[in-house]
Amino acid sequence: MTETPLALGGFKVVEFGDFISSAYAGKLLGDLGADVVKVEPPAGDSARRHGPFANDEPHAEKSGLYLFLNSNKRGVTLDLEHAEGRGLLRELAGWADLVIHNQRPGDLRRWGLDYESLAAEQPELVMSSISVFGHGTPHEDWAATALTATAASGLARYIGDPDRSPLWLPYSAADIQGGIHGAIAAMLALRARKSTGEGQHAWVSIVEVMGTTLRGDSLPQYIYAGQLRGRNGAHNHSFYPWQVAAAKDGYIEVITMVDDQWSRFMELMGNPPWKDDERLENRWFSSEWADELDAFWHPWLAERGKAELSQLFKANHIPFQPVHDVSEVAESEHLAGRDFFQDVEHPQAGSYRTLGAPYRLSLTPWSIRRPPPLLGQHNDEILGELLGHDATELASLAEMGAL
Amino acid sequence: MPGPPLEGLRVLDHGHVWAGPLVGLMFAEMGADVITVEAPARLSGIDMGGLSAAAVLGGTDNPTVDDPLSYHGLGRDKRSVTIDLGQEAGKTLYKRLVAESDVIVENFAPAVMPRLGLGYDVLSEVNPGLVMAALSASGATEGPWRDLVTYGPSLGALYGLKSVQGYLDNPHPREDRADLDPTAAGHAFFAILAALEHRDRSGEGQFLDIAQGECAVQRLAEPLLDYFLNGRVASTQGNASPRLAPHGIYRAAGDDSWISIVVRDESEWAALLELAGDGAGALRQDGFADVAGRLAAREELDTAVEAWTSGIDAMELTESLQAVGVPAFAVMGPAELAADENYRAIQMSGAVVATPGGFGASEIYQGVVWKLEKTPGRINAPSAVTGQDNEAVFGGLLGLSETELRELAEARVI
Repeated sequence: MTETPLALGGFKVVEFGDFISSAYAGKLLGDLGADVVKVEPPAGDSARRHGPFANDEPHAEKSGLYLFLNSNKRGVTLDLEHAEGRGLLRELAGWADLVIHNQRPGDLRRWGLDYESLAAEQPELVMSSISVFGHGTPHEDWAATALTATAASGLARYIGDPDRSPLWLPYSAADIQGGIHGAIAAMLALRARKSTGEGQHAWVSIVEVMGTTLRGDSLPQYIYAGQLRGRNGAHNHSFYPWQVAAAKDGYIEVITMVDDQWSRFMELMGNPPWKDDERLENRWFSSEWADELDAFWHPWLAERGKAELSQLFKANHIPFQPVHDVSEVAESEHLAGRDFFQDVEHPQAGSYRTLGAPYRLSLTPWSIRRPPPLLGQHNDEILGELLGHDATELASLAEMGAL
Repeated sequence: MPGPPLEGLRVLDHGHVWAGPLVGLMFAEMGADVITVEAPARLSGIDMGGLSAAAVLGGTDNPTVDDPLSYHGLGRDKRSVTIDLGQEAGKTLYKRLVAESDVIVENFAPAVMPRLGLGYDVLSEVNPGLVMAALSASGATEGPWRDLVTYGPSLGALYGLKSVQGYLDNPHPREDRADLDPTAAGHAFFAILAALEHRDRSGEGQFLDIAQGECAVQRLAEPLLDYFLNGRVASTQGNASPRLAPHGIYRAAGDDSWISIVVRDESEWAALLELAGDGAGALRQDGFADVAGRLAAREELDTAVEAWTSGIDAMELTESLQAVGVPAFAVMGPAELAADENYRAIQMSGAVVATPGGFGASEIYQGVVWKLEKTPGRINAPSAVTGQDNEAVFGGLLGLSETELRELAEARVI
């Protein structure tokens, strides 16, 4: 029997960053087969302190977010504020095809770990940098998190109520998005290396990445027409209907751009007389009267439960869907049928359930082959066996605080 | 200077609405020859949605059909051909095109391509190196959600994203900006690049079953693991973090003006207090002295922060918080972004921009997000008119004669 091939098998990756964005990029690479070494400070990545924890009891090896983000990686600890720690990182980079990180550019330069410094010794190296404000930009070293990026990109301006605060995308979604694009930048630069023979620096700015989520309508409408849209609460006024409406026992996402679908919804309600209301003739402009139009059909929806509505919409090919909470997603028959959720054995956290493949490659499947590393679990294996430092050296490095 | 990294690849793009054509655009920006394949009857980008350029620019009252603005963001740098895949002659022509291509990206419902007799099993016989990515809503395998009709926002509802998007004090979710589509598109592009890496090594193509919902739900790792670990069911999250406070968006001086502020540790809290000075007495309560206290009294804390920020200009406060190392930034609008030197510097990096003029004098496109310093991406052609490249592709690439082209056009095959 031959082993299942790994799409990215043989790629050697060093990931040194914190929290979500670079870790998610490392996960995407590792889950398709890359050999990823995660570098953490001796105190551990901040995702180890984030949770969720079983019974809400914090434990550095049991944070749900860390467990999700770090499958298929080996882990070492290095203190980059320590000269010896930085030296070891340079040695690790010498082993790698790719280093991926979310450090601030100023810190990288201060440490001598910026692309120019590393590439001077190793021109084939690819570096993929993920940051909020970019590299070589006026605010490159400004402090930021996913919330900062969501505000700075303009996206938050469009989510929430008109008279209340703008909203971010919860759970640091901007960092996940930044991680995806950091991994893409890495793949592109590795591909370029095949023809040029050279590595290069590639970077993404999470502000710009999140800004591109507005390319569908808001930004072009401003660019072309100077139109400024604001927040519209449970509605998006780009066309009608696009809203979250109340059912008897929860909420329903009501959206359609297609007239046939809207007509089938009218039929489902028994073709009420208001269906010919002139304000519905061109639904690109109907949002101006959203309140009055909502009043026609919200009561019908509010009399029915999510389950009944789901069946009706499915049977009539209407694209409205129930708002599922996480329990309904976790217990979904559909996702169970696809074996989506995965159970992973971990030496300290025990068996835990996590998310599965975002994509299914028929020949080189996504897989979890190794649980996330314990803090410093592979120091001996990587720094010792791989980089050739003996036990005495490692002990003294640990003692001086470099590991 | 070497060309962009995907030069030499040919991609057939059947994308419609957003996620599909966005993947095609990503290939195009990085140098691939991307050919959109549409039915002859369809106007360009008709189902991509959004107000038309003509309507917005010229105030006509026919805003819905050809030439929507969103298409101008997604259709650029691609070629366009028309093929009626329902006709036998169309299928034959399509297979000839597939033989000359590397990647197919489609986001039809899962049954559509197999029903046309153009599933991966058939097409991979034509081209064994073919990488075919099918971006469906919920995956190509059997199951109760497989054939549901969805848009990004309703798919986000189905996969739980909507249930957490809203204010802490109101479980009724707030509407999004269809951010599910770019999440799915990014995952898909990455997976296709990985499949191409495997092809480079082995010569083998493969089929990618990509459920957009399964890409997007990766954003819910925290609440899903909390459910698995503790049985807890998350509701609307506001701008809160489970670990940090303050973590919010607060009113600043002026009309609809806001600032995001995050305090990550006690030294940043001390820096914020010092900046706020004596005027912000409400922030100095004993209960706020450590993060546990601030998390426990989040509502009170946010009120106190806002009492301080609401009198200060958002950009001015951004500058002064950043000067003391606290993550903060104003909530930007398009006008502010257009004037923001940092945003401009980001956008101007990493792409060769040839200022394509789709219509009007200076069409502005969003930049290429991956800044490859030696092999940058490119932006150099406006959105194609549907079918404009039939002759170049079917004639030039596939070698059809003028007579053959004319016959195909007369039979409405192209």
